[in-house]
Amino acid sequence: MSRVLRSLRDGIGFDTLLIIIALSYLFVFAGLPLIYNVIISFQRVDVFSLGTLWHPNVGFENYERVFNDPLARRVLINTLIFTLGSVAMQFTLGFAAALFFHQRFPGATWFRGLFLAGWIMPGLVVGVLWNWLLSGDFGVINHVLRSLGLIDSAIFWRSDTAWSLYAVMMANVWYGMPFNMILLSVGLAAIPDDLYEAAELDGANAWQRFWTITLPMMRSTIGAVLALGVIFTLQQFDLFAAITQGGPAGSSTVAQYWSWELSFREFDFGRGAVISVTMIIVVLFVSLIYVRSTRAETRL
Amino acid sequence: MSNAWTNRLLFVIALVLAGIYLFPLYWMYVTSLKTQSSIFAVPPEFLPGVPQWQNYALIWDVANIPRYMWNSLVIATGVTAFTLIFGAGAAYVLARYRNHWIDIALFLVLMLQVLPPSLMVTPIFVGFASVGLLDYPRFGAILAISAKTMPFFIILCRAAFMTVPRELEEAALVDGNSRAGAFFMIVLPLARNGILVAALLIFMQGFGEYVYSASLIADNRLHPASIGMTNFLQPNVVNWNAIMAFAATYVTPIVAAFVLLQRQIVNGLTAGALK
Amino acid sequence: MTRLMTTTALALSLAAGAAQAQVTLTLWTESASAPEGVFAREFSEMDNGITIDVREIRFDDLVADTLRAFATRTNPDLIAIDNPDHAAFSSRGAFLDITDKVAASDVIDADAIFPGPRSSLSWEGRMFGLPRASNTIALYYNKDLMAAAGLDPDSPPSTWDEFLEAARALTDPANDVYGVAFSARASEEGTFQFLPWAQMAGGSFEEINAEGVADALVLWKTLLDEGLASPDTLTRGQWDSTGTFNGGNAAMAISGPWELGRMAADAEFDWGVTLLPVKEEGGPRASALGDFNLAIFANTQHPEEAFAFLEYYQSQVERVWPEFTRLPSVAGVDLAPTGNERIDAAAAVFAEQLESARNRGPHPEWPRISRAIQNAFQSVLTGAAEPQAALDTARAEIDRILN
Repeated sequence: MSRVLRSLRDGIGFDTLLIIIALSYLFVFAGLPLIYNVIISFQRVDVFSLGTLWHPNVGFENYERVFNDPLARRVLINTLIFTLGSVAMQFTLGFAAALFFHQRFPGATWFRGLFLAGWIMPGLVVGVLWNWLLSGDFGVINHVLRSLGLIDSAIFWRSDTAWSLYAVMMANVWYGMPFNMILLSVGLAAIPDDLYEAAELDGANAWQRFWTITLPMMRSTIGAVLALGVIFTLQQFDLFAAITQGGPAGSSTVAQYWSWELSFREFDFGRGAVISVTMIIVVLFVSLIYVRSTRAETRL
Repeated sequence: MSNAWTNRLLFVIALVLAGIYLFPLYWMYVTSLKTQSSIFAVPPEFLPGVPQWQNYALIWDVANIPRYMWNSLVIATGVTAFTLIFGAGAAYVLARYRNHWIDIALFLVLMLQVLPPSLMVTPIFVGFASVGLLDYPRFGAILAISAKTMPFFIILCRAAFMTVPRELEEAALVDGNSRAGAFFMIVLPLARNGILVAALLIFMQGFGEYVYSASLIADNRLHPASIGMTNFLQPNVVNWNAIMAFAATYVTPIVAAFVLLQRQIVNGLTAGALK
Repeated sequence: MTRLMTTTALALSLAAGAAQAQVTLTLWTESASAPEGVFAREFSEMDNGITIDVREIRFDDLVADTLRAFATRTNPDLIAIDNPDHAAFSSRGAFLDITDKVAASDVIDADAIFPGPRSSLSWEGRMFGLPRASNTIALYYNKDLMAAAGLDPDSPPSTWDEFLEAARALTDPANDVYGVAFSARASEEGTFQFLPWAQMAGGSFEEINAEGVADALVLWKTLLDEGLASPDTLTRGQWDSTGTFNGGNAAMAISGPWELGRMAADAEFDWGVTLLPVKEEGGPRASALGDFNLAIFANTQHPEEAFAFLEYYQSQVERVWPEFTRLPSVAGVDLAPTGNERIDAAAAVFAEQLESARNRGPHPEWPRISRAIQNAFQSVLTGAAEPQAALDTARAEIDRILN
């Protein structure tokens, strides 16, 4: 017994305990609901049998119906464009902002703090605000573009099937940029100054320093930011509900919105779960890539 | 170019960027002072004609703002505490080792965050109902939200722990500290800046959380501000000005507090406790 | 199982009645300031041993929250629910059958309820609730803009052709004025706005591809293609669309009586309301039927007390118009003047329009039927499909759901 105690205080038991606590917590409050989703994707779940665990098994029928739906292809492509586009833009803009505010000019940290205001806005409010900003007739974005002479006639961001997905993406990039920026700022701050000084003495220019010092040193931060970016983007729901409702004609429907629509608009929880399961599989790959990327991490 | 000029130029650029970025926030404030129909005016009105201060009077009148704010605070604090307590240790372990088990654990942590809350809430609700957690709704909401914020927190904190030089920890062990002792006395304090930033981000997420609180908390008296706000959203009739006034009322104090706090944290970060 | 629970509930309620204990009921609704919220507060303050706790739930979450609650038996005793969602619950025995209670009641007269609302709360000939109120849509028009465009402000368009001509005459891109504002978005609101046009053309939700319905789609498409309505009609709800009418950026608007308060306060022009234009002179009228129903859950422990509240609600029904600007769903209630001339004139129009308002459903899978209809008009309006083909697709989908 005392050996167990000692191990908990002073050995591998301590580490194991810490990780087991967190994982069990996550398993109960996030893992079990996920498993429930996987199970009901093979069942016919009636609105009123939601509370029970056992429903009639239908095998892959829900899967067939979802993947044969004319909307499925569209949703798959939309989800890919939305996720990759959002993450790439959030990351690029966030990194640029982090580097910019890393210059220690007066007020830099204060300004950086202001940018975080986006992060704390409730999703509903962000959605409504962008809904108005993107409006074709009374929207500020069109007004500004027109005043600057960049466009002749109004662009109907939300209602033009060619634009609707990108309209939501714009709002999502705005929403997600601050968290990219702050995480990358923390990563930047952790790089010792003497590395740069040494490189400067060796005659490396700013560009070379960025590629040979900044990027390699921030590898683990970048991995984390990108992985979280993908996951946050896949979770984005409020903006779709507020700006386009997945329309017009499904042109901005993505997986998470479709899944919610099937479950809570059409009460077909089985088919809704099929899409959830598909998303789980996608994230499985993203996680694998992230975990592999951590292999090469270096510790200071 | 002299240093002072560079600084001034950077300052102006920062001002312009912040102005562009914060425009939606400005739009929230200005909309909260407009009349209902001038939201839809063409061309858009960048200033409210006659400021409609009664929009603010209305929300204080109709909604119990202090109570909503208090509930938001309780939930956000609870979420931050739970996430910190359960997540910090795990993040530390995940940063300390490098083997297959750690890979699997990291992988699991990320995986569990995949679905949006609107899809997770049904099984959580059913589960909570069956074990009686719905009788303690705010606590239940805190448990559920913490599970959502924890993977994010763990990933962030792990990066913070990675920056703590291993030699310091080993030196502490040589000095006669236990593993637990070294963790609490040496590693945690050294990584505190990163942990604090992460905790603050979690706090804000908890403050604005909507989905779990809305479904798990049935009693209106226990609802946070994010739900109080939606009472102005009715079928067919939406008082947008009141919603914006409400949002402004509860977002402003956090924005202010955060801007001030963030400065100190990042100052601490860049000063570098480690160097 | 359900019967067993009902029996137990009944026994329990009788025991409670005998003890004369204080009974607490719960009521879920979209707003505590809606009539049922206000009446529940009054009812609680009366000396009848019954208290009603009101919980507000955002409209978008109401059905999902209620489903989850019912599945786990944590549902309330009473609920106010949007009328197209009613059948999903009544058809599965979630709501209490109050047919016999109503027959025995001195306060509620089932025959006085208008056919539309009555159909929404009925299932297989039995009654499962009481209408809260009713609403419908009609045509708002800006009299000043009509006069400026050379149209007679006192004879608004009454047929589709006149409506289209008026929209063309009123559209003025130079001054940012559209002919008409309405909503064709991919949500229940869109269905609510489209179905009346399909019905006036001789269709119905069961026969959405009936001959003539394509004309309704062609009319909508013409409005968008010729720039007579904003392209954002596809993603904008009725409230925001009518907001542009109030600001003078649309000369006509299709919406319901819920707009009256804001319009009376904000519109800086003379406006009026007229019936939805019919397809041809003398053609059938139709409009949408909106608003909520009140229902008692079948598993309540206090069915008598809950029904007593419905009776109280019905006894106060003449207050629904003057205090809440909602139209009563029962015959024989006069609309008391509000003191605002335009609102009172509009009330008369909406009351007349309500006579031709048709219920959506009732069908337990109404949201899927509605979805098929939305797909039809959205695909036509975006140019992805031809009207008749889109309607045939919707018909096939709806047939699958109905059978």
